Amino acid sequence: MEIFSNLLLGFQVALTPFNLLMCLVGVLLGTLIGVLPGVGPVATIAMLLPITFNLNPIGALIMLAGIYYGAQYGGSTTAILVNLPGESSSVVTCLDGYQMARQGRAGPALATAALGSFFAGCVATLVVAMFAPPLAEVALKFGPAEYFSLMVLGLVAAVVLAHGSLLKAIAMVILGLLLGLVGTDVNSGVLRFAFNISELADGIGFVTVAMGMFGLAEIITNLEHTETREVFTSKVKHLWPTKEDWKRLWGPVLRGTFLGSALGILPGGGALLASFGAYTLEKKVSKYSHEFGKGAIEGVAAPESANNAGAQTSFIPLLTLGIPSNAVMALMIGAMMIQGIAPGPQVMTERKELFWGMIASMWVGNLMLVVLNLPLIGMWIKLLTVPYRILYPSILVFMAIGVYSLSNNPFDVFLMSIFGLLGYVCVKLECEPAPMILGFILGPLMEENLRRAMLLSRGDPMTFIQKPISAGFIIASVILLVIIALPALRKKREEVFVEE
Amino acid sequence: MMRRALAALALFSAAAAACAQAWPTKPIRLIAPYAAGGPIDISARLIAPKLQEALGQPVIVENRPGAGGNIGADLVAKSAPDGYTLVIGAIATHAINPWLFSGLPYDPIKDFRHVALIVQVPNVLVVNNELPARSVGELIALAKAQPGKLDFASGSTGSTGHLAGEMFKLMTGTYMVHIPYKGAAPAVADLMAGRVHLIFDNLASALPNVKAGKVRAIAVTTRQRSAFLPELPTLDESGLRGFDMTTWWGVMAPGKTPQAVVERLHAEVFRALESPDVRQRLRAMGSEVPAVRTPEAFTAFVASELKTYGDLVKRSGAKPD
Repeated sequence: MEIFSNLLLGFQVALTPFNLLMCLVGVLLGTLIGVLPGVGPVATIAMLLPITFNLNPIGALIMLAGIYYGAQYGGSTTAILVNLPGESSSVVTCLDGYQMARQGRAGPALATAALGSFFAGCVATLVVAMFAPPLAEVALKFGPAEYFSLMVLGLVAAVVLAHGSLLKAIAMVILGLLLGLVGTDVNSGVLRFAFNISELADGIGFVTVAMGMFGLAEIITNLEHTETREVFTSKVKHLWPTKEDWKRLWGPVLRGTFLGSALGILPGGGALLASFGAYTLEKKVSKYSHEFGKGAIEGVAAPESANNAGAQTSFIPLLTLGIPSNAVMALMIGAMMIQGIAPGPQVMTERKELFWGMIASMWVGNLMLVVLNLPLIGMWIKLLTVPYRILYPSILVFMAIGVYSLSNNPFDVFLMSIFGLLGYVCVKLECEPAPMILGFILGPLMEENLRRAMLLSRGDPMTFIQKPISAGFIIASVILLVIIALPALRKKREEVFVEE
Repeated sequence: MMRRALAALALFSAAAAACAQAWPTKPIRLIAPYAAGGPIDISARLIAPKLQEALGQPVIVENRPGAGGNIGADLVAKSAPDGYTLVIGAIATHAINPWLFSGLPYDPIKDFRHVALIVQVPNVLVVNNELPARSVGELIALAKAQPGKLDFASGSTGSTGHLAGEMFKLMTGTYMVHIPYKGAAPAVADLMAGRVHLIFDNLASALPNVKAGKVRAIAVTTRQRSAFLPELPTLDESGLRGFDMTTWWGVMAPGKTPQAVVERLHAEVFRALESPDVRQRLRAMGSEVPAVRTPEAFTAFVASELKTYGDLVKRSGAKPD
């Protein structure tokens, strides 16, 4: 079979000592920047670009790819330990991961994240190897109408993310949508809600909002409760998932991997939806759904598997079509062009050793990550025993550095502080930030695709129903909406979801 | 009194000369007003090590993205004109944005010394494979036969791709609908899928899919044919006389930077551009060493581009109101 000879070629490339070293450097760096809040793979890869000029193309790309998926691993560490999502994909990991840490179950949470990611990474790598070309065609089937309908479904599902009052969840989604409106209107180029501040012309950055609403707000809130501060460091019971945990783990990991692999292929923000989607799905199907938001291990396993699977499959549109699905992939295109490789469909046929070498290196990299990360868990747990008077200021410093590095502008640091205050107000009002963040991410994408679809259909809204894929998402959204809205069910829902 | 003034003057000019002689004595910041990893950032990072080597001082590339490049450009416009803060000014920041953004905080001509043009990339008119038009003539005929039916995509409102489309519409008297995207990548995806019909994309990003046969290039937007696709006719020779659009960017300094510093920088930038490795990598991005060879010619070039796009923005109604 051709695939085996191709994979063999790939492993021959990936397992040369130099490429192994590049892979290790990449995943190490990735883990490190993933753990540092706010310092993301985009800034790191950009800084490393000039160094890659002098490397051979394969080694350079293997290292850059390693940074990317390494950061996904590292990002979940801070999400679980200190409620700080470094990447949009780890926002949902905060929900249950941090709660687990508070109950002294940070070890199992971290192990779940690492093992789930590893499993998902392996499966997704195989998916890339076997189905890259046909899947690329699927990606092309998604146009503005399809993306819009997918986002509608995502937004309706956002309400499920909340475990408090339904009304508050909807209010937070709308607040997120409104914040997403800030910036330049794509169609006309008009500035909206920017108050003549040129820093707001490109909208508010996701990392800025997430750092403020989650991290900063968490720190402020914790400073209030002097008496409960030491709680979750004292009762660390075990580092590994229990037998019971393992039983609850595998289903969510499988479903998350599947969902993540599927959504990762879509270039227009599909990977973003992966972890949100996986969490929502688990909350709906799990028999432990009453534990979600209070430290359910499924709530860590599913989104972590999904985001790592999505990170791997998002290479498909890049490698087969030359279309980057996110900012990191755009940087990879830059790196390839610097090396004189024009990213596009011909990479797969003309540069076989590069294409398959990268795919094989992803598997090798995932293995390295799990080997690196499992022993580190003990060390991360120790981090929780660091007194808050030292831990919090250092987190603050790293957050400020990270946010500043987004565009080398102090404005973003001020903005983060404002969102920190807003986050604190939300905590006091018992409004949860996760639905807001989802609204904030999906809103602009949804608006953009809605208006583009309407432009293309010359103003005919039937376009969303005439296209089969789009119609499917719309129907699914309506069904979900009915379930949420039915009064009888809503009563039950509140019994289930309001936490006391 | 007079003698003292003269002596002071002599001392002053000697100090100024010494100053220029001594430049650079500290690290130089090269601001890339766009996100890391884009072509402008990459070209800045390509020449920075060469400049560093030649000038004997660190040259640090700093990304200051935002507001279509205006934030970075404005930062340099308002920096001390001492040759230690430079910017990569581009067609967007220096020829198009002044007409699109009301109240732009800088003057693209007076607030800058235009040191050296470094990159010029042609745009290519690319159509979806299913579109029956195989030449510019056929495309015009098609657009005239079905007014308002064709869609042209672009990476953003006010981008060169958008304005090239508007120019095409004005010169041919056709009407096509502009579909703006956030960046060229999703626009190209929709072009391949056949949801939009054509795009004016920059050569480097269009080339791979053209060569793979996923989309069809029918013309270049520059006056001369491109060395990368020599068989491809220009729009000018296809009947749109005078059609000439290039995406460009170059090194610029604050407006009052001393002439000596500008000249030294210009010479070093060109030395960097002509070094084989930089040249090879810029070629991979679709750019040859530009023909604009002095700072003065660069200023004249920027001024003429500014005028061209001013007319185009006004006539096409591309400015948001």
